[in-house]
Amino acid sequence: MIIDWYTIIFQIINFMILVFLLRRFLYGPVIRAMDDREEKIVQREKDAAAKKKRAEDEAQRYQLQKAELEDQEEQILEKARAAAENEKRELLEQARQEVDETRRRWQESFDRERETFISELRRRIGLQACSVARGCLQDLADIHLEKLIWGVFINKLENLPGEDRLELKKALTAEGETTTLKSAFETKSEQLNELEKALEKLLPDAGKKFKLTAATAADLICGLELDAGGYRLAWSMDSYLEDVEEQVLKELEQNSLSGLKTDAPGEVSGNG
Amino acid sequence: MTINPDEIVLFQWGWFKINATIAFTWLVIFLLTFGSWLITRKLSSSGELSRWQNLLEVLVNGIKLQIREVSRQDPGPYLPFVGTLFIFIAMSNVLAIVPGYVPPTSSLSTTAALAICVFIAVPVFGIASQGILNYLRQYLQPTFFMLPFNLIGELSRTLALAVRLYGNMMSGTIIVAILLTITPLLFPVVMQALGLLTGLIQAYIFAILAMVYISSASKAHEEIVKKGEE
Repeated sequence: MIIDWYTIIFQIINFMILVFLLRRFLYGPVIRAMDDREEKIVQREKDAAAKKKRAEDEAQRYQLQKAELEDQEEQILEKARAAAENEKRELLEQARQEVDETRRRWQESFDRERETFISELRRRIGLQACSVARGCLQDLADIHLEKLIWGVFINKLENLPGEDRLELKKALTAEGETTTLKSAFETKSEQLNELEKALEKLLPDAGKKFKLTAATAADLICGLELDAGGYRLAWSMDSYLEDVEEQVLKELEQNSLSGLKTDAPGEVSGNG
Repeated sequence: MTINPDEIVLFQWGWFKINATIAFTWLVIFLLTFGSWLITRKLSSSGELSRWQNLLEVLVNGIKLQIREVSRQDPGPYLPFVGTLFIFIAMSNVLAIVPGYVPPTSSLSTTAALAICVFIAVPVFGIASQGILNYLRQYLQPTFFMLPFNLIGELSRTLALAVRLYGNMMSGTIIVAILLTITPLLFPVVMQALGLLTGLIQAYIFAILAMVYISSASKAHEEIVKKGEE
């Protein structure tokens, strides 16, 4: 007999047991594990999608912020540029003013120096001229320059016009005033007496109310000055010296101009 | 030479006896259960999979896909039954490569037992899915006169299931035995390899046919439901 019913029933039971066992030990756990994993993957995908969404949002926000910042940056740059421009203008203005100031100061000091130089020059020329004249007159003609000048001074005083004479009188007779005779050289006492006599002669009604003193003033060079408070009678080499000064200045200017003209090409080539 | 392993009795006590078919079936059941337990006791649902877990997942997932493809239904309820049919038959057949082992499937009793299981499972699943009346009405389709033919069909396909598997497995064993006497060298090895292929194909055919029968019994229900919806 090929078919054994005993074995068939046994095998049916065996198969049922196997179905149960495999269900318990194979399908159940494996399917659970697969489902778990699938669920986890789905969850992960969801998480990833959410994260991606968040990242995209974030990226968009950053993009916006970046654009905003760029805008602000542009504005700040614009402001900074304007401020720099202003600053530059102010600095330039300041520098220009400083240059002007420096130039002005330099000009002033230059003018001052020129003034000093000229007055010194004038004094020296005067002194030199006087000394030369004195030397020449004394050596060649045995004449004292001072004596001559004194004579001319007394003479002039005696021939003073009426108007000046009144003014001199007024000044001489003023209360508390001292009349001073200033001279480049030393005034001798007889000369002072001579002047006194001349003044008395000139102004007989003034009496002998005035006091007369003598003083030496080197800057007068070769002249005399009668200072009676409100009135002053003087003459000296000033006008001559002014002529000389004018002449010297003209000479100097011409020299400096021609110097500049000859210097200019050299400077240009030097710079080039 | 013994063709039928039922006749090899290993142990007998009164009417209770253990023959080679039952013993080797137990061996297969033990191997399958122990192997499954060994692998599935430490399954991981995240991170890296062990290669054995991977193998089981491929196997179970493959069976599920096949069931879904054949039945066009959720494979859940059918998986234990159909899957076990496939795994048991495949394991029984593949172990034939081991010398001294006699596949239980080369006994008509085993294949008949499996066919009877299918024979019972078809109405069980059919009734479970569409109710007893709807299931029974199927036998009267398309007309009342078809009832006998339907019944004959039901029985004959069960018989065919049993005999197909039995014939294939038994013939494999017998062919190897015959070849051993003619060309004892090399050629039986080729035939054994072929036997492995045949064994797997037979396991696949048996399981797929079982699924086709079961799903045809429960598909009618779906068609009725669909008609009702229309």
